[in-house]
Amino acid sequence: MTRLRELLFPLIAVLCAFAVGALVVLFIGDSPIETYRLLLGSAFSWPDGIGYTLFFATPLIFTGLAVAVALRGGLLNIGAEGQLYIAAFATAWVGITLSNLPSALLIPLCCLAGIAAGAAWAAIPGILKARFGSHEVINTIMLNFIAVALVGYLTQYHYRTAGDPIMESAPISAAAHIPRLGQFVPGLPARIPLNAAFLLALLSCWLVYVLLWKTKWGYEIRATGQNPSAAEYGGVSIRKEIVLTMAISGALAGMVGINEVMGYRYRYYDGFSDNYGFTGIAVALLGRNHPVGVIAAALLFAVLQRGGVPVDAFTQLVSKDIVLILQALVILFVAAEAMFRRGGRGPGAGGRI
Amino acid sequence: MKQTAALTIIVLALIAPACRRARYVEDDTSKVHVGIVFDIGGKDDRSFNAAAWRGVKCAESGTLPDGKTSCDKPALGIVLRDVEPGTPNSIEPAMRAFAERGYDLVIGVGFAQAPIMQVVARDYPDIHFAIIDGVVFADDGKTPMPNVAGLLFKEHEGSYLVGMIAAKTSRTGTLGFVGGMDIPLIRRFEKGYEEGAKAVNPRIQVLQNYVGVTDAAWNNPGKGKELSLAQMDRGADVIFTAAGNSGLGAFDAVEQAGMQNGRATHFVIGVDSNQNMVKPGFVLTSMVKRVDNAVYDIVKEVVEGRFKGGFHVYGLESEGVGYVIDQYNRDLVSPDAIREAEDARKKIISGQIKVTDAMAQ
Repeated sequence: MTRLRELLFPLIAVLCAFAVGALVVLFIGDSPIETYRLLLGSAFSWPDGIGYTLFFATPLIFTGLAVAVALRGGLLNIGAEGQLYIAAFATAWVGITLSNLPSALLIPLCCLAGIAAGAAWAAIPGILKARFGSHEVINTIMLNFIAVALVGYLTQYHYRTAGDPIMESAPISAAAHIPRLGQFVPGLPARIPLNAAFLLALLSCWLVYVLLWKTKWGYEIRATGQNPSAAEYGGVSIRKEIVLTMAISGALAGMVGINEVMGYRYRYYDGFSDNYGFTGIAVALLGRNHPVGVIAAALLFAVLQRGGVPVDAFTQLVSKDIVLILQALVILFVAAEAMFRRGGRGPGAGGRI
Repeated sequence: MKQTAALTIIVLALIAPACRRARYVEDDTSKVHVGIVFDIGGKDDRSFNAAAWRGVKCAESGTLPDGKTSCDKPALGIVLRDVEPGTPNSIEPAMRAFAERGYDLVIGVGFAQAPIMQVVARDYPDIHFAIIDGVVFADDGKTPMPNVAGLLFKEHEGSYLVGMIAAKTSRTGTLGFVGGMDIPLIRRFEKGYEEGAKAVNPRIQVLQNYVGVTDAAWNNPGKGKELSLAQMDRGADVIFTAAGNSGLGAFDAVEQAGMQNGRATHFVIGVDSNQNMVKPGFVLTSMVKRVDNAVYDIVKEVVEGRFKGGFHVYGLESEGVGYVIDQYNRDLVSPDAIREAEDARKKIISGQIKVTDAMAQ
C-alpha cells in the first residue's frame, strides 16, 4: 500500500503541473488540447516517439544515478557535467587511437575508458574533501569549467579533422560502434539512435540498487551519508567512503559518453551534453534518490524534451519558451509534491536521503 | 468556497485578454510546406538566424517578421513552421519531424547542422533540404547530395570592402577584428577585412581576437566587449565583429568611448544583418550577408519546381554580400571611401582584384 502511495503522489503532481500548463497555453491563446496532443503524441508514438524518448532518457538515467549515489553518501555532486565531458572524450580517444582493435576488445575498452575517466575526474574533489576538507560543491562545479575547456582544447588543436569547421573529433573506429536497438527490435528502424547504452543504463540501475542495499559497501556509503560520526564510530573509514562514493558517482556520469559517442554521433563533439549533469540533479531529487525513481524521472524529462520540438514547430502560438515553462512547472509541482499529502508532513518530508 | 471563487476570477482574468486565438483547420496540402531549424542561438539574434527568419517570413507572407512592413517581394503562398532546437540533440528530431510529415523543404541554419542533415537527407531522398553556410556531401565525400542545396556566401569579398571603408575612416592606423568561434569560416571574414584595409593603407595594423573555441563563443557579449576594449586600448578605432551575439559587446564598447564634437571616437562594423541602427552614430557600416535573399530564393525554387541541389554561391555579383549605407551612417562614411569601395566592388566582380579565401587554403 505504501509503495502504491509513493507512486500516486508524484503522479498527481505531474497532472497538476499539466493542468497549470494548460492555463498558460490558454492564456497565450492557443489550444491546450492540441498542445498536449502534440507533446504526448510525439513522445509516445511508435516507433519514432518511443525510440527517441528512451534515447533522451538514457543520459539522464546515468546522471540521475550518479547524483543519487552521491546524495545517498551525503555528497552533492554538481560536477557530473564535467565528468561526462571528460569521459566522453576519453571514450572517443580510445575509439580513435586504438582503431586497429577488433570490436570484441575495442568496445569494452572504450566503455572502460569513459567509466575510468569519469571516476578519476570525480575522485579529485573526493580526495580534496577527504584530505583537506574542502567542500565538494565548490570543487565539482569548478572542475566542470576545467573539464569543458580541457576537452575543448584537445578537440580543437589535436583531434579535429583538418578543415572541419565544426568542433568535433575525428570519427571513432567502426569497430567501436555499439548496436542500435533497431537491429533487434522488429518495427524499430535503425535510424533511431536508441542504442545498447539504454540497456546498460537499466543494468546500472539494478547494479546501483544491489550495491546500495544488498552489499556491505553500500551499507557503509548510506551510513556515512546519514550520519558520518555514527558511521565512523561504527568502524567505517569516512575518508575512504567519500572518495569511493565520488568515484562511483563519476563512473556513472561517465557512461553518458557511451550513449553519445559510441551509439549516436560516433565521435566526440563539442556541446553534446544538454546540461545532462545538471538535469541529473533534478532527476535524482524527483526520483527520491532511488534507481526506480530515477528511471521514472528520467523518462518524464525525456518525454518533455522529445515532445518539446513538435510543440514548438506545429502549434501556432506556443513557442520553445512555453515548453520550458511546462518543464519548469512539472519540476516545481513534483518537488513540492509533499503538499498533496494529507496533513503535509512539512518541509523535508520527501527529502530523506 | 471563497478561495475557489477567487481562483476562478483570476483564471478568467488571465484568459480574457488573450484575444489572439489559434485556430486549427485542416492542413492545406496543396501548398508548399517549409520547415526551418534554427541553430542554438535562436531566431532573435539580430544577426545570422534573424536574417534566415526574415527570408522565410518574407516568402510566407511578403512581410518582415513584424507582420506589417512589406519586404518588397511577393508572398509565395507557403505553409511555414519553425523550430528553435536549443540543444544539439534536438536538431535531428526537429528535421525528422518535418520530413516525416512530408514537408517539401527543410532548411537548416548554420554549418553545424551539416552532419545531421547528411543523415536525415539520406533517409528522405524525395524531400528537399537546404543548409546555410554548409555543404552536405553524399557518402563518397566528394559529390554534393542531390536533394541538398548548400547556400554559401563569399564573406571575404564583403569583408574586403568594409576593410577598405574602415581603413579610410581610421585616424590611428590601427583596426580591430573580433571573431566569434575560431573556425575557418570566421578566418575568411578576418582575412578579407585585412586585405581590404591593406589595399588602402599598406602600413595599417589589424589587431585580431577570438571570443573562444567552442559554440559558446557566439553567445558571450561580455567577452566581446572586453576584447574590444582591449583592442581600443591598443589604438584600434574601428572594430569589425563577426561573432554573432558576442559582437553586440563591441557595440557597447565603442558607445562607452563616447563622442567628441558630435562624432564618435571609435566605430564598430556590424555583420550578417544590417546592424546600423543598433547604436546609431557608432556603427560605421554593416557587412551584410543576404541570408534572407538566399533563403527566399531557395523557397521560390521549390515553389516553382526548379530546385537544384549542390552549391549555391552568393557573392558581390549577386548582392549576396555587401555593405550598407543608410540614414544611420550616411554622415559617418566619407564619399571618398564609398567611391573607392564601389570601384573595388566592380574590380572584384570583374576579377581584377582577387580576394584571398581563407577557407580555400
